[in-house]
Amino acid sequence: MTTATQRPTPAPPQVQAEAALFLAVEAELIDDRRYAEWLDVVTDDFTYTVPVPVTPDNPFAPHHDPEALLLDESKDSIRHLWFRRLEADMHEFAWGENPPPQLRHFVTNVRAYLTGDPDELAVRSNVLVVGRRQSDQPKYLSAERFDTLRRGAAGLLLARRHAVLDQTVIDFPQPRVLL
Amino acid sequence: MADASRDVTVPRRVWADEDVHRRELVRIFKTCWQFVAHESEIPEPGDYVTRRIGRDSVIVTRDETGQVRVLLNTCRHRGVPLCRADRGNTSHFRCSYHGWTYANTGELRGVTFQRDVYGKGGIDKSQLGLFQPAQVDSIYGLVFATWDPEAPSLADYLGPMRWYLHTVFGKFDHGLEVVGPPVRTMVRANWKAEGENLSGDGYHTFVTHQSAVELGLFATQHDLAEMAEVTGTRFTGRTVHCGNGHTMRIQRMPLQVKAPAYFGYPKEMWDEFDRNLSEAQREAQSCLSVGHGSVFPNMSFLENFKTNVDKKGDHARYIRITLRYPMGPAMTEQLWFLLQPRHADADWLRLSRLAYLRTNGPAGMFEVDDTENFVGITEAAAGTVAADLPVVLEGGLHHPPTPEEAGWPGDVADGDRTEKTIRAFHGRWQELMA
Repeated sequence: MTTATQRPTPAPPQVQAEAALFLAVEAELIDDRRYAEWLDVVTDDFTYTVPVPVTPDNPFAPHHDPEALLLDESKDSIRHLWFRRLEADMHEFAWGENPPPQLRHFVTNVRAYLTGDPDELAVRSNVLVVGRRQSDQPKYLSAERFDTLRRGAAGLLLARRHAVLDQTVIDFPQPRVLL
Repeated sequence: MADASRDVTVPRRVWADEDVHRRELVRIFKTCWQFVAHESEIPEPGDYVTRRIGRDSVIVTRDETGQVRVLLNTCRHRGVPLCRADRGNTSHFRCSYHGWTYANTGELRGVTFQRDVYGKGGIDKSQLGLFQPAQVDSIYGLVFATWDPEAPSLADYLGPMRWYLHTVFGKFDHGLEVVGPPVRTMVRANWKAEGENLSGDGYHTFVTHQSAVELGLFATQHDLAEMAEVTGTRFTGRTVHCGNGHTMRIQRMPLQVKAPAYFGYPKEMWDEFDRNLSEAQREAQSCLSVGHGSVFPNMSFLENFKTNVDKKGDHARYIRITLRYPMGPAMTEQLWFLLQPRHADADWLRLSRLAYLRTNGPAGMFEVDDTENFVGITEAAAGTVAADLPVVLEGGLHHPPTPEEAGWPGDVADGDRTEKTIRAFHGRWQELMA
């Protein structure tokens, strides 16, 4: 099906490079488990959502339900309910994350588009996340991310991430993951 | 009633043994009633979802007359599955191999090139409808099916469990609906590991979920004081065996209230709960911290109260159903359903959803920690020496039976730090496997 929608305008090459570098560094902070630094590169109103994957019968419907979510987090919820329990005084009882799962992000196909707001970019990227639980063989999650990057005094910040999984039955060690 | 399962012993091989798994598929999953879907998932004629009963793929659909049908998802001709999607809408299912076409009642309607292939008289289509369970029935919108023509009716199978299902699913004027498609996860654990836990394990909570307690997700003394007069620090509970391996655990917050109080639900809903519940059921729901249980063998439900999930001082409740498919001795597919009341306040629905997703949803904190136990149990039981060791299941044997005046049906004990429901789960499993 083709529709006569206007194609989004790609950002100029220098901005593309800036966005790609931002996403690579942002992934580095997660993979290195430098959570306090990661919180510094997201906005206070940051939201993170992942819709529920599904195999539809309609060939024109997406492989997810846009109305139903698997993950729905804010900067505060990630700070308090994800990262806080991994700090030294609590980590012993974060049983499912002790030893901590090792993540590795491969970020590719970064496309930055201009939006109506001169301070915001709509950035799409593909991500492959490799996850290792204990000494098990690694598992993989592939997804497309729809991010909003916002420019402030401190440079680009991640304001929104919506990630669509490429897997209907999730066999990752645990689906509680920052894609 | 005496604890009928008090002497049950469980060798650990049941967690990881290939032969046990194969026998389970026949003795348990081919005979027991099993949950397949909620009616709200297929509201319109032609709507369908694909599910499993044991390892068999089934289509759960609403036919053109509105009747819910469960159809084995394989063409009667040469065996190709008819549905390849998780959900959709269709009045007919057409096989991709030779084109046999079935109505969504399961009736075989069309055989391609019939005269050419089967001669003048054709083939007897009346004998070749899609294979269907011997019985299909529903309660509170929960659709169950069994392959066993000798099985008791669903109502008889559930017995006293119906009373507890009513407290969870039957108290809403406009019923519940499933939000979106279920999330599907594949866990490297035996299906019974999570099954026995959800049957009513109130013993693990403060250890496995210690970080959740410390992070304020269980009502803190401060949260409790905001709700009503606090009577202590200890949450008290009861555990129930309803027969046939169906179990329930109900835990209450230490609060003093003058009238039944359904904390976590919007105040404007409380009147309908009062109307729709009996006096004993109101007591079971009042000041509820958590109520959860299982319909044997593989369906569990959880009605849970959580605090501080989004903003400090938040109180919210949600209802979850999980369903486990045994995909191998050490592999389980789990389906996760969030159910919400129809016509509820939008802000409350959002908070209820967040509370679910962040705690007991498929990516919630509790599940991260629980899953590690279930995977671990399964991995350890693969050891030859470990497989012969028994599981220690004596917890709560000394708990007193709940007085009959309480009006709670089934075999009920005061106390929820117990293995009572786990003994009941394994006791029923052993009866069927014997």
